Parts: sequence; C-alpha cells; structure tokens
Amino acid sequence: MSFVARGRVRELMGEVMTAQGRTLPGDDAADLRAIGFRSLDFSELALRVEDELGVELNFDAPGLRRITTVGDVLDFIDQLQAA
Amino acid sequence: MTARRRTTALIGDDNTVVVAGKRLTWRTLHKLPQLPSPAAVLVDNGADALAALRHHAVHGTELLVATESRVDNRMREELGESGFAVVLPDGEVTPAKLKRVEESGRAWLLTSGSTGRPKRIGHTLETLTTVTGDQPPRIWLLPYAPGTYAWWQVVTLSLTHADQGLVVIEPHELDDWPTIAAEHGVTAASGTPTFWRQAIYRDADGVGAVPLEQITLGGEPVDQAILDQLREIFPKARISWIYASSEVGASIVVHDGKAGFPRTWLDRTPDPDRPVLAVDGEELVIRSPHHGAGLVGAVHTGDRVEYDGDRVLITGRLDTDEINVGGSKVSAGVVRNVLMGHPGVSWARVFARKAPLVGRMVAAEVVPNPALGPITHADLVSWCSSRLPDYGVPRRIKFLDEIPRKETLKSDV
Repeated sequence: MSFVARGRVRELMGEVMTAQGRTLPGDDAADLRAIGFRSLDFSELALRVEDELGVELNFDAPGLRRITTVGDVLDFIDQLQAA
Repeated sequence: MTARRRTTALIGDDNTVVVAGKRLTWRTLHKLPQLPSPAAVLVDNGADALAALRHHAVHGTELLVATESRVDNRMREELGESGFAVVLPDGEVTPAKLKRVEESGRAWLLTSGSTGRPKRIGHTLETLTTVTGDQPPRIWLLPYAPGTYAWWQVVTLSLTHADQGLVVIEPHELDDWPTIAAEHGVTAASGTPTFWRQAIYRDADGVGAVPLEQITLGGEPVDQAILDQLREIFPKARISWIYASSEVGASIVVHDGKAGFPRTWLDRTPDPDRPVLAVDGEELVIRSPHHGAGLVGAVHTGDRVEYDGDRVLITGRLDTDEINVGGSKVSAGVVRNVLMGHPGVSWARVFARKAPLVGRMVAAEVVPNPALGPITHADLVSWCSSRLPDYGVPRRIKFLDEIPRKETLKSDV
C-alpha cells in the first residue's frame, strides 16, 4: 500500500486551512482550537489523504485518542496509514 | 389482424414527422402489419418506435415500446411470462410464454428505474394525452428515448393535435441537435435540464439559432440558473417546466420562469381535472387525474421538497437528497443549486461522501463553463461559503471535462 509522507500530509492540511481563509502555522505544537481547525477540516484532510492513497483510511483500527495539536493530527494520519 | 376500436382520434395523422432526415407524416410512416398484441417492441431507432405507436393507436393493441438497451434479458423473460411477445429491432419475435387476453388500448411504460429495476406502469392514449385544447402550430424536437413518459408526452401531442410536427433526434444525433432543429424549423423543444445544459455548454450560439417559441424542461429538478440561461438566449420564448412521471403523469406545469412552484398550489380544493399537491413531512404527494392504472389516490412520489419563501422547490430524491453531516442536515439539491448559480459552472452533481468524525461530507463534481475561463476549488468554496452553512459547503470538488449523460437525458443528480 502507498503512503502519504508526513510532510505531504502537512501540505494537505495547509491547503484545507487556506481554502477556509486561514493559515497553518509551522509549529506542530499549535493548538487546533486556537488556529480554527475543526472537525469538518479534519474530515476534509482525511478525504484528501484518501484521494492521494486511492483507498479509504480505516478509522476503526486505532483506539480513540485525544487530538489537540497540529502534531497530533499528523501523528494520527501516520498511524491510520500504518494500520 | 382484425380492426379494433380507436382509442383516441388521430387528428395529427398528417403532421410532419422528420426521421433520419426524411420528411414524412404519421400516415406515411412505414407500417408494422404483423405486430402481435400484447407486444413489447424493442427498438433501436425513433422511426420504428413511432410506427409501433401509430399501429397501437390505430388498432387499439396492447403495447410496450422501449429502446432495446433498456430491457435486459431478465426483463425480456419477465415480459414473456407476463404475456408479451417480444419484438426485436430486426423483426424477430419471441412469442409470449403466457397466453392471455389482451388489454385493448393499454400502453405500458417503464419507469426510469432510478429507485431500482424499472417497473411497468399501465396507461392509455387518453391518460398519456395531457395537453388539451387548441395549440399554436409548432414543430417539436423529440430528443427523448422511445417509451419514456416524456417521449409519450411529445408524441401523443403530435398524433392527437393538428399542426404539431415532430423532428426525431436519434441518440447519435444528440450532440448536433441544434443544427438539425434549425434546418427543419423546430419551434418547440422539450428536454431535461441536463439536455439543455449540455447544449448550451457545447454550442450556445447554435442553440440560439433555433427559432424556439416554446422551451420545456422536465425529468429532473429544475434550478433557477438553467431557467435564467435559457431566458437570456430566448427572451421571447415561453419557458415551462413540468413535473411528470410514469406514475402520476404530468402533474405540475410552471410557466413563470421561476424554479419551484407557488406554495399556494398546495392543498387546493379538489378538482377532478387538476392534480392535488400536498407535502407529507418533506415528501411531495400527488393525487393526479393522469395517474397510471392502479395508482388511484395519493401517490407518495419519493421526491423531496423544500420551501423557499413563497415557492416550493423540488430538490431531489428523498432517499439520496438529504446529507447528514455530523448531525446537521443539508439538501444535495440546494447545494447543487448554489453551485449552478456560479457563473463559471455549467453543471454540478452533489453527493455524500463517507468521512471520519462527521460520518458524511458534501462532495461535488463540476463541469466549468469554458466561456468564462478557469475556476478553482477555492473559488467555489468561497462562493458556497457565503451562501450555505459551513457543513453544506462541498469540501471535495472534482472537475470534469464534460457533462455526463444517460440515455434518459438525465444525469445522476
């Protein structure tokens, strides 16, 4: 299975933010609530990653976890692809 | 074959019928003297379909006519078991497996199958002829596939009224219909919104060269953008949209150039000649004098409606129109109308896409208008964001090179 690299996922995350008129900060520790990255944005990012992979991500595989920062999002997408 | 009673007067028997470039009349169309009854006539061209219809009208036979491609082997078997001889385009006849008495004058239609396998709906020429009274002389374009409700509407109008000519457009001629229509002086045309959009997308000037006085839309939800585009090209034409189906017939006819119909038309005092319209929850319910056999009473149409001020908009099929985005509901039809309202968009399809966290997200496919330069994903997101709640804004938009089309002239919207 192909893999979307973390750097590319970050680019896609930036595109999601730009489409909503916002900017993704360079700091992975940035708080999602503070930068306005919401559930809909996270869902869109997942779809963008799926479109690059050509397959659906399996969201049932990893256990529920707390995602509060940009880095958490990137980690989670990494984990989903590895699942 | 023995002579049978006529079901409807063939007042239009001498009307012009243009098929494959040949100028004929209903009366001079080729004849099908050996056509059995009941018969399911599967055709691969418009002339054979018209000949089968005229034979039915003259002899009062029981007829189902459809394009060969719409009736698969399983359905042919079912027709044989239901008493129909199946007639193929090359004239080969498979006799009926069930011998039964014909229903004299019965015309069978197949539903579009948008909710599953096509169903047979029984009509007669009388129930299919919904246009009454004197009509201005017109030459009608006939782009519909034989056997569909819209096809029956146009052909019965021509066969039962004076001065209503027909110009048949075969599937391979669809891309070039404006040239054919202009050549034969077509003054009236009926098509789905997809049909009109494709025509304008391909060649707006060519469409504008057809001397249309009557433009009719039907078969799909009609949005304001396509009505406005047609009005711009044809400022003097009467532009109508019709809500019709095999089940309830032509039940809503709107001539004011606006999408939807007036809310005051709901729940009017019953009149035997006029359909009664109602809304149950979000579903359009129709009690129609033009209904198919066995469909007496209120018919739940499966079409979803939404109120917009004093209008009632038909947004799409109930089972596919509503998209639930994390508990917030949005109509795919409404989102589509917003996209279609963007001047750079020629066509759009809106659908739900499975997504994490929110369950479903709104996604779209779009064909840009080539005359207005490129548009971007960001342009459309921005356009929608100022007109829709955030959960209704399409988050994934795919750009297509051309408008998809099916044999029914509808797209999957």
